[in-house]
Amino acid sequence: MPQNGAVRLAVLGFVLACTPADAAGDRALGEYLSSECTSCHQSSGKQVGGIPAIIGHPAEQFVALMNAYRERQRDNQVMQAVAARLSSEEIAALAAYYESLKPNP
Amino acid sequence: MSTNRRTFLTGLAAAGGFAIASPAVLGQAKPRVVVIGGGAGGATAARYIAKDSAGAISVALIEENEVYQTCFHSNLFIGGFKSYEEISHRYDALAKNHGITLARARATQIDRDKKEVVLSTGARLPYDRLVVSPGIDLKYDSVPGWSKDVEEAMPHGWKPGRQTQLIKQKLDAVPNGGTILMIAPPNPYRCPPGPYERASMFAHVLKASGKRDCKIFILDPKDSFSKQGVFQEGWEKHYGAMIEWLGPKVHDGIKSVDPKTNTVVTGFETYKDCAFVNVIPAQMAGEIARSAGLAPAGGYCTIDPASMKSVVDPNIFVLGDACIGGDMPKSAFSANSQAKVAAMVIRGELAGARTFPARYINTCWSLIETDDTVKVGGRYEAKDGKIAAAETFVSQPRESAELRKENQAENVGWYAAITADMFS
Repeated sequence: MPQNGAVRLAVLGFVLACTPADAAGDRALGEYLSSECTSCHQSSGKQVGGIPAIIGHPAEQFVALMNAYRERQRDNQVMQAVAARLSSEEIAALAAYYESLKPNP
Repeated sequence: MSTNRRTFLTGLAAAGGFAIASPAVLGQAKPRVVVIGGGAGGATAARYIAKDSAGAISVALIEENEVYQTCFHSNLFIGGFKSYEEISHRYDALAKNHGITLARARATQIDRDKKEVVLSTGARLPYDRLVVSPGIDLKYDSVPGWSKDVEEAMPHGWKPGRQTQLIKQKLDAVPNGGTILMIAPPNPYRCPPGPYERASMFAHVLKASGKRDCKIFILDPKDSFSKQGVFQEGWEKHYGAMIEWLGPKVHDGIKSVDPKTNTVVTGFETYKDCAFVNVIPAQMAGEIARSAGLAPAGGYCTIDPASMKSVVDPNIFVLGDACIGGDMPKSAFSANSQAKVAAMVIRGELAGARTFPARYINTCWSLIETDDTVKVGGRYEAKDGKIAAAETFVSQPRESAELRKENQAENVGWYAAITADMFS
């Protein structure tokens, strides 16, 4: 993702300050919702091309990134469309699910 | 209570009700799912049902080909961006990793009364739930003068394999100054931006090999097409006047084609001695779906948007290009997404797994020229009796070169992920 690191951190900080992660995400809901992610993000945890790896991502950071897409503070049409249709509860569920996974090389 | 929460609870109640009403299925030793077709819909459905039920459901996948060539990214093969091997995939890992039974045969009949699929080998496979994902069949009579007998002389390249290779061979043999003529299909058809990405790849190959005096005409029965603004902007930018798109008001209809002389006659003009004619005809659901009565209105199969179930048979799910996907285009991404909804519903019905409201996603990336990729896509939900768009996006004219290059990197990553999601 060619994005300015400072801007990225600033956005992350801002989002983290506004919307703390829900630590008690519904993992089973997250697992179902994740089937939308796996069309682009490898289940193995590999990064290929311009699609970042998200397996094992810390939940707080996951929530912050998704909120940044939902609020359109972070650019990417696909991810903005994905995040726009997710409730906070669903984002927390996805975050809990992805945090629980280990990359499988 | 939010709408999401309400729909979610209603979904749970409905799933619970069905489970109670189906003791015969739940009481059986091991419920059986049969999947017809190993493409983006069928392979994904087989994989998700087998993987997530962890042996509780027996899954058989019927596919006649040992090696599957993806139609998606076949344009990148035609354009020289990918090798044939890179778009070829086998089923061994899918079968081995998830305990899926592979039936190397063609499904010739669905016996809906007995709940059995008849194979070309004569074998009959019984099912509790059947997933039908056969892709498209071509309407060979939709272009006057064209037929199955002449599909090698005037290839369609809309089903993967030999036809894809024929398109590339004929493209590579076009002499400088030659005319390529593409007849685009009417809606609804597989891969809405596909013909226009393919024309881009034709131009890329001709330009890269110094054949700058060639001309590519697209004769379209439609008044407009997917991502038209950004395609036409890209064509002009990269290829000047090489690609010319003609809508029905301009060409006044395809009157006939003659494969012997490579001639195409429209209401306005006769194109003689074309170097290469690519006929992409009208399409319909694969024969097995139609002969089973799953497409009562003709061409494609009507489904319940909340489950992907056929509206004519609650034990059958129809996925991908063969179904009427509402606002979703006929794409591999759509079929892959629909398969996950069907897999979730089937596991709920047969194994008592938790179910959730259906949600769908699609993105189609198209390469116009090296590092210049555009995209269109959206999120979809069951609404008003169809799969309805809830969020959509499309690339815009005058976007930065950097963004278009990022789009291509996504396209590359998506292909790797979806093929892993189907075959690993």
